[in-house]
Amino acid sequence: MNLYEFEGKQLFKKHGIAIPKGVVVRRGDDAIQKYNELGIKDVVVKAQVLSGKRGKNNGIKFCGSSEEVRTVCDTLFTINIRGQYVSAVLIEEKLNIAEEHYISITYDTNRKQPMLIYSQSGGMDIEDVAEEKIVKIGLDVRNSEITLLSTLHNDFSNENLEPIARSLWNCFLAEDTRVVEINPLIKTVDGRWIAADAKVALDDDAFYKHKEWEVLEPRTMLGRAPTEREIAVKKIDEGEKYYQGTAGKYMEMDGDIAILFSGGGASIANMDALLKTGLKPANYTEYSGNPPREKVYALAKIVLSKPNLRGLWIAGGVANFTNIAETFQGIADVLDEIKPNYPIVVRRAGPFEKEGLTLMQECAIRNNLNMKIFGKETSMSETAEVLAEMIKKK
Amino acid sequence: MSILITTQTHVLVQGITGKEGAKAARAMLDYNTNVVCGVTPNKAGQEVEGKPVFNFITEAKTQFPEINISAIYVPPFAAKAAILEAINNDIPLINTIVERIPIKDTAYCLAAAKEKNITIIGPSSLGFISPGVGRIGVVGGPLVNEIFSPGSIGVISRSGGMTNEISWQLRQAGLGQSTAVHVGGDLLMGTTYADLLRLFEKDDQTKAVVIFGEHGGSYEFEIVDLINNDEYTKPLAIYIGGKFANILPEGMNIGHAGAIVEKGKGAVEKEKALSDVGVMIAEKYEDLVLLIKPHS
Repeated sequence: MNLYEFEGKQLFKKHGIAIPKGVVVRRGDDAIQKYNELGIKDVVVKAQVLSGKRGKNNGIKFCGSSEEVRTVCDTLFTINIRGQYVSAVLIEEKLNIAEEHYISITYDTNRKQPMLIYSQSGGMDIEDVAEEKIVKIGLDVRNSEITLLSTLHNDFSNENLEPIARSLWNCFLAEDTRVVEINPLIKTVDGRWIAADAKVALDDDAFYKHKEWEVLEPRTMLGRAPTEREIAVKKIDEGEKYYQGTAGKYMEMDGDIAILFSGGGASIANMDALLKTGLKPANYTEYSGNPPREKVYALAKIVLSKPNLRGLWIAGGVANFTNIAETFQGIADVLDEIKPNYPIVVRRAGPFEKEGLTLMQECAIRNNLNMKIFGKETSMSETAEVLAEMIKKK
Repeated sequence: MSILITTQTHVLVQGITGKEGAKAARAMLDYNTNVVCGVTPNKAGQEVEGKPVFNFITEAKTQFPEINISAIYVPPFAAKAAILEAINNDIPLINTIVERIPIKDTAYCLAAAKEKNITIIGPSSLGFISPGVGRIGVVGGPLVNEIFSPGSIGVISRSGGMTNEISWQLRQAGLGQSTAVHVGGDLLMGTTYADLLRLFEKDDQTKAVVIFGEHGGSYEFEIVDLINNDEYTKPLAIYIGGKFANILPEGMNIGHAGAIVEKGKGAVEKEKALSDVGVMIAEKYEDLVLLIKPHS
């Protein structure tokens, strides 16, 4: 889960990294009142979005009066920043900047270890910084103490950066993050280091170690607030049901074909296949592992509650251990309730496939559904074409 | 021959008394794989599928010093300790089925394994199979004999379901598999495509390899280096899923944990880089079979 800047900065502060004084303005808040609470005249007003490049895209403005602050806040709440929804606005003291640096820690997938990345050229995308101006140091996740940086690279001793690097490493480990990035890391005119921005991604798989993450507001990167259905699907996997397979992937899209995929690999291959037929998905949904009937029921019910659907594609590969009968029973329970009249195509194989496909067949007969059912003898992509044909004929 | 499994394979199952562990032990034994014993703390003295259970691997190894693979079936919060126990006991090959291991724990285990030259397949790997020789984990499930048959094609997949799906398509086309490996869908992979291609290169039975890859991560780019260095010279066909993901915002993740939308690491960029070094690119996953058949 990506954090907003203001959330990331609180983590930095917790680990001893200085951040600017600031206040968060939510949608509906009185921006002037917040500005007055801060009590600083010259401020920077920043849109809170889940991915970067705000500066170049009108997401950051400097203001010197309450009127200016209000106008800027009003505008920021009406725009998207590179497709990202503005969930809040952060008003912060304007810093007296002497230098802008860059520092981050993230996992390097090729070396399979965290890498500390540092550059004196901060304030721009690190991808745009020349390779020779970037310092990369591999870190051992088994060692929470990094004290050797000064011996590894002059910058760390000359600039007295060691404490910042150590705090960032503590934050990276203790908060179970996948990425921590400070860009720019500001050196003020009076010689202090301050994190002027924060990019933090939490490791969703470490959720069980962090009760405090439960209060983080729901979010999506799709350029809008998360929908009720998206929030509802997330809840299915919460609590002790977490490990009983997963139903947690539901992303609402603009099309009208409801999607119930199983398996992470099959689901992305099938999205590609569906788009190739010209059909447009109403959602991306995937359940995995071996979820119980109730979980699949809850998921299917939400997926099929979207209005104006024109078709339903239920597809998965040849499962290893998913019980096809159990999971399909959950879907059949929903079809029994809503009896949709749009075309439905089913393609699945794996444990208890015979029972699963039979119970779908029976469900179709008793509800008079327009459904075609396929096993592993027909490939998944072919069944997308079957669905497209059925919809065309209708 | 095959890779990773031989007739000399002696398997330990960690977490054998759990529901999934017991099921996996059964699945392996049903496929004539030599499961010798299991480990679950505080369950010593029990038996699962007729195999003895020990509290710790040290005890298991006293009685079965020939153990050379451990298959791990424990909940995510216990995974790190279980993997480290296997590493500390010098088991050379570890298959970790556990999904949703925190990445910090995975990185910890991979660092420890590297120091001892131990291979980890996974995390989030349902296992691997050499048809007719044996299987580790539950790859193929109960349909294993319908899906898999011995042959000349190596299979590597980020997805467990697609490992079967593609193997089944090969079978339908009259081809068989030398070894099929589900490498798992996590961001950090214990064993990568490149690691396995090196093994397939040396394996006489394997004439060609097919891969089911995904957008996100940069493991496919390692294949490019491998081929440029002549470390892999056999025919290779790859399908990379997630072309639609280029319409999604950067940083978003769909499918498996490792399938993150990243600038320059999408399905299209990977296909281009691989195609340039002669890898055959499948438009649809079904095309993998068509591309590889002439080379079988």
